[in-house]
Amino acid sequence: MLVVSDLSKTYAPGGEPAMAGLDFTVGEREFVCIVGSSGCGKTTMLRCLSGLIPPTEGSIELEGRAVQGPPEDMAYVFQDYSRSLLPWQTVAGNVSFPLKYKGLSKAEAAAATEEALAAVGLADRGRSYPWQLSGGMQQRVAIARALAYKPRILLMDEPFASVDAQTRAELEDLLLDIWRRFEITVLFVTHDIDEAVYLSQRVLVLHKPAHVFEAIDVDLPAERDQMDTKKLPRFGELRSRVLASLRAPDTTSA
Amino acid sequence: MQPSAVPAPVHRGEVSTPAAGSPRTAGAGPTPVAGPRGSAGRNDGPKEPGRARARLYRFGLGLAGVVGVIALLELVVRLGLLPEAWFPPPSEIFPAFARLVVSGELFGPVGQTLQGWVLGILAAAAVALPLGIAIGSIELAHRLTRFMLEFLRPIPPVALIPAAVLIFGSNLDMKVFLIAFGTFWPILLQTVYGIHDTDPTLRDTARSYGLPRRARLVRIVLPSALPYIATGLRIASAIGLILAITAELVVGTPGIGVSITDAQSAGDAQDVMYAWILAAGLLGFLLNGSLQAVERRVLHWHTSFRGEAR
Amino acid sequence: MIRARLGDWALALVVPLLLLVGYDLWARGAGDFFFPPLSVIGGNFADDWLFERVPTDLLPSLARMLAGYAIAVAIGVVAGMVLGSLRTLAIALDPVLQFLRALPPPTLIPVSLLVFGAGDSAKIFLIALGALWPVLLNTVDGVRGVDPTVLDMARSYRIPARARLLRVVLPAALPRIFAGARTALAIAIILMVVSELVGASNGVGHTVQLAQRGFNIPEMWAGTVLLGLVGFAFNALFVAVERRALGWHHGSTGRGGAPTRRTRLRRERPRPVLTPTRTAVAVESAAAGPAPTEGSVPDARRQ
Repeated sequence: MLVVSDLSKTYAPGGEPAMAGLDFTVGEREFVCIVGSSGCGKTTMLRCLSGLIPPTEGSIELEGRAVQGPPEDMAYVFQDYSRSLLPWQTVAGNVSFPLKYKGLSKAEAAAATEEALAAVGLADRGRSYPWQLSGGMQQRVAIARALAYKPRILLMDEPFASVDAQTRAELEDLLLDIWRRFEITVLFVTHDIDEAVYLSQRVLVLHKPAHVFEAIDVDLPAERDQMDTKKLPRFGELRSRVLASLRAPDTTSA
Repeated sequence: MQPSAVPAPVHRGEVSTPAAGSPRTAGAGPTPVAGPRGSAGRNDGPKEPGRARARLYRFGLGLAGVVGVIALLELVVRLGLLPEAWFPPPSEIFPAFARLVVSGELFGPVGQTLQGWVLGILAAAAVALPLGIAIGSIELAHRLTRFMLEFLRPIPPVALIPAAVLIFGSNLDMKVFLIAFGTFWPILLQTVYGIHDTDPTLRDTARSYGLPRRARLVRIVLPSALPYIATGLRIASAIGLILAITAELVVGTPGIGVSITDAQSAGDAQDVMYAWILAAGLLGFLLNGSLQAVERRVLHWHTSFRGEAR
Repeated sequence: MIRARLGDWALALVVPLLLLVGYDLWARGAGDFFFPPLSVIGGNFADDWLFERVPTDLLPSLARMLAGYAIAVAIGVVAGMVLGSLRTLAIALDPVLQFLRALPPPTLIPVSLLVFGAGDSAKIFLIALGALWPVLLNTVDGVRGVDPTVLDMARSYRIPARARLLRVVLPAALPRIFAGARTALAIAIILMVVSELVGASNGVGHTVQLAQRGFNIPEMWAGTVLLGLVGFAFNALFVAVERRALGWHHGSTGRGGAPTRRTRLRRERPRPVLTPTRTAVAVESAAAGPAPTEGSVPDARRQ
C-alpha cells in the first residue's frame, strides 16, 4: 500500500543528508513501527512521507499513486498534541475542522466527529476545549481528528511520548483497538522499544542518516495484552533483538 | 537562584500580550522575529546554519529594504503620484538633513529634546522605583493602591498640557513635569508587578535557605523584577519622547518639535521640515535600540534573551 | 469568594477617597487660584459635560478617534497578515517599520495639516497613522510566531490556503493583534487630544485649551477629568472585548480570565500554541504604548 523507494533528503546543498536511501513497503492493514535513536532523521522521514516536504531523491507511492503533497488517504498524528490542536476550537470543532474542506456536509461532518470521539472514549467531551483536558485526553482528540478524516493510513510521530506511563498503556491499547476496528494501516514512529514491539507486526530499525538498517518481524500472537504479552519470553527476545539492532555498528551504510 | 529557571516566566502582568515568536521581536535592529521555520525547531533539520551568516543575511536584506523604500518614495514623488507639495522627494530630504548635521544646527534642538526627556524620566524613576518596590512588597499597600493605579494608568498624559502650561509656563519645567507625569505610571506599574509577581517558589527557596529579608529583596526579588522594570523604562522612553515633542509642538518649548513647526511656517521649506521629522524618528529609533542593547546585556540570563530556543 | 472580592474593592477605594477628600480640604483652605476645590470642578463638570457639550465637543472627539483607530486596525491587520506571510519581505522591511514605529506620532501634525488642512480628515489621518504601527508590527509578529506544528497539521489535512490563513493563522495571531490594538488605542486617545490642541474648532481637548487660555480654571480641570474618564472607559471597554474574544487564550495559558478549577490545575501543561512571554512586552513597549503592557485582566493578580 505504501511503497518507499530510495528516499533521500539533504537540506542545505552539499550538507549532510538527513535521510539516505530509505527503502521499505507497508502492506494493507499492517501495523509497522519505526524505531531509531533521536536525531536519526525520523521526523524528516515523516514529513516527507506525509507530503509536507519534498524528498531530494527517490519516490513515495501510496496505493500506486506518487505522493507529491499531503495525500487525501493519510492522516498525521503529531507528537505534540498541545501544539497541533487549536486552542480556540472546542474538541468537536478540532475534530471536524478538516472535514469541511474534505467536502463533507455539516451533518456528515457532525456524524463522523461523533463517531470518532466515541471511538476514543470522548463522546461527552465534544464541547470542552482541548486545554481543559489532560494530556492523554488531548492526544485522544488528535487521534479522533485523524479517524474522522477517514484515512487509509495513519502516520504517527511518537504520539505517546509526552504522556505518563499509565496513560500511555491505555492509549496503546486504544490504538490497537482502533486499528482493528477501522481496518486502517498504521505507520508508527517511536523511540520506545517496548512500545514498538508491543504494538506492531513489524519493526523497522532506522540508522542515521535515516535508512532501514533492519526489519524485524514481530511474531507475537495477534491479541496483545499489556501484562500477558509483555511476559512472553518471545517478547523479551524481540526486544533484545531490536535493541541490538539499534546499537549495531552500521555496515550497510548507504 | 537562577530566576530564569521559572517556568513560563514573568510578566504575568502582561496577560494581554501573548507571544510565540522569538523573544526579541521588538528589536530595533536585525533581531529575529520568529524561529526559522522548519529548521531550528526540528530535531533533524540542519542545525545552526551559521549564526553570523544569518545575521549578515538579515542585515543585508534590511539594508535592501531601506534602500528600496527610499527609492520607491523617490519614484512615486517623481512620477507625481504623491504631490511634491506634500512630500518632497527623498533626494531633497536627505541633503537637507545632511545640511542640518554639517552646520551643527541639528544638535541644539536635539539636545533640548533629550534634556527634557532625561530629566523627566529621571524624576519619574526617582519616585516610581522606590514607591513601586514598597507597594509591590507590602501586601496591604498593594491592595490599597491597586484600584487607583488601574484607574490612573489609562489617563492620557497629554490631557494635562493646558494645566501644566498654566502652572509652569511654556518652559523646560513644564516639559519635564509632563514627561515625568507620563512616564511615572509605566515605571511604577511595571515595578509593582515585577516585585509582586516574583515566583513564589523562588521566595520559598530563599526563605528555606534562611536568607534574611534584606538579602531576599536584593538577591531574589529585585533581580527577578528587573525584566519588568527594564520594560517599564523602555515604555517610559517612548512615551517620554512623544511627550517631549508634543510639548514642543503644541506649547513651543524649544526642541525638535519647535524646529518642525518653524520649518513648516517658513514656507517652501518642506524638505527641512521632513529632515527634522527624520531626526525625531532617528532619535526614537536610537533611544529604543540602545535601551534594548543595555537590557540584553544586563538581562542576558533571562529566558527571553537566551539563545534562539524557546 | 464574592465577599472577599467586595472587601478587596472596598479596600482599594480607601486610598483614592482619602486622596480626594484630602485634596478638597486642602484646596478649600489654600484657596489657590489654580487648584479649585472639588465641588467647584464637579459643578463645572456637570454644567459642561452633563450633557450640554456632549454633542458639540465630546462626540466629535470620539468620532474622530474611533474613525482613525478603526482605519489603523483594519489596515494594520490586513497588511500585517500579508507581510507576516512573506518572510523575506518582512525581514527586508523590518528596519523601516521599526523606524516608523519609533517616530513620535505628534511630529506628523504639521504633515497632516499640510495634506488635509485643519478639518476632521487631518485629525483622523494623524490618529490612524500613529495607531497603525503597533497593530501592524504585532500582527506581523503574531503571524510569524504561529507554531509550525499547527501549520503542518493544517497542511497535512489539506486545508486550503485561504482557510489556513483565516481559520488557523489569524486566530493564532489574535492575542498578539490584541496586544498591538491595545497600545494603538492608547496612542489614538493621546493623538485625539493632541490634534485638538493644534488648530481645532471643537473637541474636548480644544475646550480644555480654550478654558485654560481664558483662565477658566475649574472648566479646564473639568475637561481634563473628562479626558481621564474617556481614557479609562475605553481601556475598560477594550479589556472587556478582549476577554470575550480571547477567552480561549486566557484559558489555555492558564492566566487571566476567571480561571476555572480545571484551568488552574492544568497550568503546568506543555506550552500551548501561543505562550505569553516577555516578547509581547518588548513588542508592545517599543510601540511607544503609553498603556504599560500590564494586565488587561486584573483578575490575574487577584486570585
